Amino acid sequence: MSEASIVVVGLTLVTFVFKGAGAMLARVPESVARRLPGLAPALLAALVTSLALGDDGLPRLDAKFAGVAVAVVLAWRKAPLGVCIVGGALTAAVIRLFS
Amino acid sequence: MRIAPRPLILAALPPSAAVGVFGVSYGVLGTAADIPGWQLVVMSMTVFAGSAQFAVVSVLATGGGALAAIVSGGLLNSRYLPIGVDAARVLPGGRLKRALLVQLVVDESYALGIGAGRPGAPDGSAMISSGVLLWLAWVGGSALGVVIGPVLGDPERLGLDAAFPAMFIALLWPMLSSPGTRRCALGGAVAVLAVAPWAPAGTGLALAALVGLALAPTS
Repeated sequence: MSEASIVVVGLTLVTFVFKGAGAMLARVPESVARRLPGLAPALLAALVTSLALGDDGLPRLDAKFAGVAVAVVLAWRKAPLGVCIVGGALTAAVIRLFS
Repeated sequence: MRIAPRPLILAALPPSAAVGVFGVSYGVLGTAADIPGWQLVVMSMTVFAGSAQFAVVSVLATGGGALAAIVSGGLLNSRYLPIGVDAARVLPGGRLKRALLVQLVVDESYALGIGAGRPGAPDGSAMISSGVLLWLAWVGGSALGVVIGPVLGDPERLGLDAAFPAMFIALLWPMLSSPGTRRCALGGAVAVLAVAPWAPAGTGLALAALVGLALAPTS
């Protein structure tokens, strides 16, 4: 087996177990279930933060950061999802075009 | 479970478009790293997790080896353990069927499911219908990137790296209406800022999931 096929099979199994473990559990303890609504806001904020950081994990004022800032304003103004995505991407692309 | 109504499908279209372009980028980079195209596409079908697949490609491209690639991809996907627990509660069927359906849950379909659900639980049909669309976009985009990538070039320069944080901001914003969820969001962001400069990718996300559960309002 090639290195790449080992990785495909291995990561498929690992991901399947991570995603499926909750479904295979008999039932979720009440103490955990009550806290699950805290998961989505924490994870989405964590995704935004980690994607907005530079490759070294440190904040950086660059075209990407400007795009994220525009998306924050658009989300605050209650713009639709598609407008936020395109607004953020377009801002970063235009800044790169002129820098 | 009913067939997904139109608003659920419409809500899933913008993230699916972004994921499709991201898939093209993945196909381009994977091909450049000399990974066979069909293996890149199979990985998109069976793993269906963009950030982990990018991590795998970059580890293999730099000669890190299979084990390191699986570990770094697995670390990035560890957040799907708590997400899977939350999502599986509202999916139909027995254990096996739910374990299969929950494979369609990714960050985007989870967030759309939370947005369409009642307070405290995501909506199952929203997660599944958007998950199917996102899967088609991701696999289709990956295949397109493998085929036309060498001609087209990497779409990253189109601002794709800003499109994803922008999308997650838009998905997060409606959840910030109560002090309890704002506290969880702040905790998740701080967790990433604290560990991102020195810990492997994915550690911050796993820590943020724990912080979110710890800070969750329990009343």
